[in-house]
Amino acid sequence: MENKKLCLALYTGSVDKLTAAGVILGGAAAEDMDVEIYVLLQAAFAFKKENALTNDRVAEITDKKDEFLASLKRLEAPHWTEAFKTAKEMTNVKIHICGFAGKVWNGFKLDDFIDLADDICGIGEYMTSAEEADINLFI
Amino acid sequence: MNSEELAQLKAEKSVDARGTSCPGPLLAAKKAIGQIEKGQVMEVLSADEGTRRDIPKWCTKKGYEYLGTLEEAGFYKIFLRK
Repeated sequence: MENKKLCLALYTGSVDKLTAAGVILGGAAAEDMDVEIYVLLQAAFAFKKENALTNDRVAEITDKKDEFLASLKRLEAPHWTEAFKTAKEMTNVKIHICGFAGKVWNGFKLDDFIDLADDICGIGEYMTSAEEADINLFI
Repeated sequence: MNSEELAQLKAEKSVDARGTSCPGPLLAAKKAIGQIEKGQVMEVLSADEGTRRDIPKWCTKKGYEYLGTLEEAGFYKIFLRK
């Protein structure tokens, strides 16, 4: 039986939403789904090598950011990069950096981004992937 | 299976995922299921409330047999047969 496909348009550069994406990726990995992730605009900032581990911006409930980050630590929740890495190890996950998004954040080649990224692509590939997916998400 | 039957069940594989939150226990189960043969029983220990609902659904999707859940002190013991 062919694996189900998840297509994730990842726009966010905020660790709260990236952590949520990591949880969903875990669910996809448990079910052997094929996953295509398209790293758009602000997410490209978070995927830059110099930002991935230091970026601690949150998108929502910003006044409780310290409490939120402390809770993640207390619960031993993996950093989003670790959650993404685990998903990649367990199922077929491909991470594509949008070329335009990369340039916005001065990332011009694959080596400018963390090793989780597989390639730099255009929006046409996203459209094709989204058309073929069983589940489409925008985070 | 009822609670008494589950308590008597001898699992070939035990996965202790009590230190992790969702989706940790599910991923631990996924990793461990490859280490047992078809027909063998695995137990997953989890303190995560969501896991007791996730594992049965996961079993249905993956073709495993969910056998039942025992409530222990502060955690769940979830049984399935590959």
